[in-house]
Amino acid sequence: MILLVVLALAAAGFLAGRMRALKSTGGDPRQLHSLPGHHGQMVLLFTAVPALLLIAAWLLIQPVVIERNAAALLAPADIPEGSSASLVMSDVRRISDGLDVIGAREGLTEAGIAALGADMGGLRDRLGAVGVALGGEVKPTVFEAAKLFRTESRGGRRAMTVTVLLTAIAGLVLSLRRIRPDLRARNVSETFVLALLIGSSLIAVLTTIGIIASLLFESLSFFRLYPVKDFLFSLTWNPQFRGGSDLGIWPLLWGTLYVSFIALLVAAPIGLMIAIYLSEYASKRTRAIVKPAIEILAGIPTIVYGLFALVTVGPMLRDYFAQPLGLGTSSSSVMTAGLVMGIMVIPFVSSLSDDIINAVPQSLRDGSLGLGATPSETIKQVVLPAALPGVVGAILLAASRAIGETMIVVMGAGAAAKLSLNPFEAMTTVTVKIVSQLTGDTEFASPETLVAFALGLTLFTITLALNIFALYIVRKYREQYE
Amino acid sequence: MNDMTRREAEITATAIKISARNAQVYYGDNHAIKDVDVDIHDRMVTAFIGPSGCGKSTFLRCLNRMNDTIPSCRVEGRITLDGEDIYDKRVDPVQLRAKVGMVFQKPNPFPKSIFDNVAYGPRIHGLTRSKAELDEVVETSLRRAALWKEVKDRLHQPGTGLSGGQQQRLCIARAIATSPEVLLMDEPCSALDPIATAQVEELIDELRAQFSVVIVTHSMQQAARVSQRTAFFHLGNLVEFGETTQIFTKPRDPRTESYITGRIG
Repeated sequence: MILLVVLALAAAGFLAGRMRALKSTGGDPRQLHSLPGHHGQMVLLFTAVPALLLIAAWLLIQPVVIERNAAALLAPADIPEGSSASLVMSDVRRISDGLDVIGAREGLTEAGIAALGADMGGLRDRLGAVGVALGGEVKPTVFEAAKLFRTESRGGRRAMTVTVLLTAIAGLVLSLRRIRPDLRARNVSETFVLALLIGSSLIAVLTTIGIIASLLFESLSFFRLYPVKDFLFSLTWNPQFRGGSDLGIWPLLWGTLYVSFIALLVAAPIGLMIAIYLSEYASKRTRAIVKPAIEILAGIPTIVYGLFALVTVGPMLRDYFAQPLGLGTSSSSVMTAGLVMGIMVIPFVSSLSDDIINAVPQSLRDGSLGLGATPSETIKQVVLPAALPGVVGAILLAASRAIGETMIVVMGAGAAAKLSLNPFEAMTTVTVKIVSQLTGDTEFASPETLVAFALGLTLFTITLALNIFALYIVRKYREQYE
Repeated sequence: MNDMTRREAEITATAIKISARNAQVYYGDNHAIKDVDVDIHDRMVTAFIGPSGCGKSTFLRCLNRMNDTIPSCRVEGRITLDGEDIYDKRVDPVQLRAKVGMVFQKPNPFPKSIFDNVAYGPRIHGLTRSKAELDEVVETSLRRAALWKEVKDRLHQPGTGLSGGQQQRLCIARAIATSPEVLLMDEPCSALDPIATAQVEELIDELRAQFSVVIVTHSMQQAARVSQRTAFFHLGNLVEFGETTQIFTKPRDPRTESYITGRIG
């Protein structure tokens, strides 16, 4: 609601700014330093941006402040055994919401609501009737806290509305008054946009830092409970609900690498050959049809691939390869997951490599053909070497995609952590275990759950290393070729 | 004067290497080359001149079927190499291009070492039997392209690391290493400074002893310096074709004269 008002004000500011700018020179836009549109834009930005920022900041800070005030009313005795302050606080929030509904339903005035007290009987039932189910009778302090919470939230919201509107109007008026023919409105609005762009990129960077930090902290608390040495060097993975688990990463890492390796074994050659066909041999029309068709593969949800692995590929591999060869009787196997995952990442390799091969200058091809080389000699000896860094990058990208894949592995390779060379045996990967450890029944603070973060950190480190390696290769060859 | 008579004697003495009769080239619906008749003599430099977009490069690319790589391009008429129609179905364009080499406007060394760049042709055509022989071919080609002294200590560094003029001479060395019978050069000096241009021109003059050379150029002086015969193209037509001295001193066609004197182009 307030958002709409601010935006409407900003839109009005845009029109007013334009008009005022035009009027200031008597309707001749050539005498303005900036275009009328820039003046309008400036007014719009000055109206909307500070007000919107204020809304964002207010919404972030207000709950924190109010919760602290409400929490101050609570006595330690109000927190029942086995519960925590945050649970009680959530009760407070629910009661305060319930009071709103009661007020509306029973036609109570503000004073009427304020007069309610926990000592009045039947409060629990009245709250229950409006959909706020509580575990026990409402304690007086909790109820007082809820009332405070309610009044302060309401007051805060009203104060916010007023301040935001005032800010918006102030921005509007001030920037409108600044408009003069020689005002550098274009520079102002461009600086504004620049700040906006920088802000956006900061969001991405800060998110990355935040993710790394949360991984690091949780991993640290895991390593406080479980020795690093065992995590990194133990060869068994055997989590127990009652503690005393073996949490060695190797069986999982091995599974991850094995599955990804098979996936790349499938995807790299097929993808590369597709790319060569598409970029060097296919006619424009074929390419226009085939390329999107292959890219559809990338759009299939991984769970569907998982089904395919579980229902079709797994049993087929077992019946036609594993059993006749005497290599196992399990329908979920590393091979199944690897094959299906390989198919999934084919478009990553083929599409990127195709773009890269297309980017090899035609002059190189002409040079080779002009010397009497056949098209295939040209591709093998000139085009592919020139495209190699990019192709390696594409394959490594596919690799990090394969390493992070979860669904196909759960359904294709199973969930048994094993160290084995047999590709027809069920194994599992780091990602699968992250899911199963985090969603398990164990307490959050136990090593069995926290190990998920250490696993995540390991995975992150591996993909980071892969990316750095890819960059290194690309840079090394680029030096040589340009 | 003496020199001129000797040149003319040479012209009549050498055989015709490539001959085009009634050649037409179309890019889709665009008729780019109209009714061109040209004879390229053996062991002689033929220059194609004309304003930009007149079709001289297009015609040059017809002579070794490089236009095959452009899907919309269509060639009609009869173009023969040693009397054999090069657009005949039985002719393999790959073999044709081994005989009719090409140097392009922009230097395009492969992303390989200098040595591998020059050895590329001999290797794919299996021209040498041993490493020593290959070394020798590479060395002679680089020497003839006047590049040997500059690169003999860095043969295994990438060819892309050379300067523009060196790169173009590397491309010429690469083309002559395949020992073609005809060498087509598409504005080989347009990206070079005057010194490198002079070196390449000198090289072209030497190459004449073994190959017939066809050169497309925008520089009239260059055409006059290096060629024995000159063809003037205008708007897809071959306007005039004859001995270089005659074209530059006594042009028969008024269009040729105005181009040479700088009035059109």
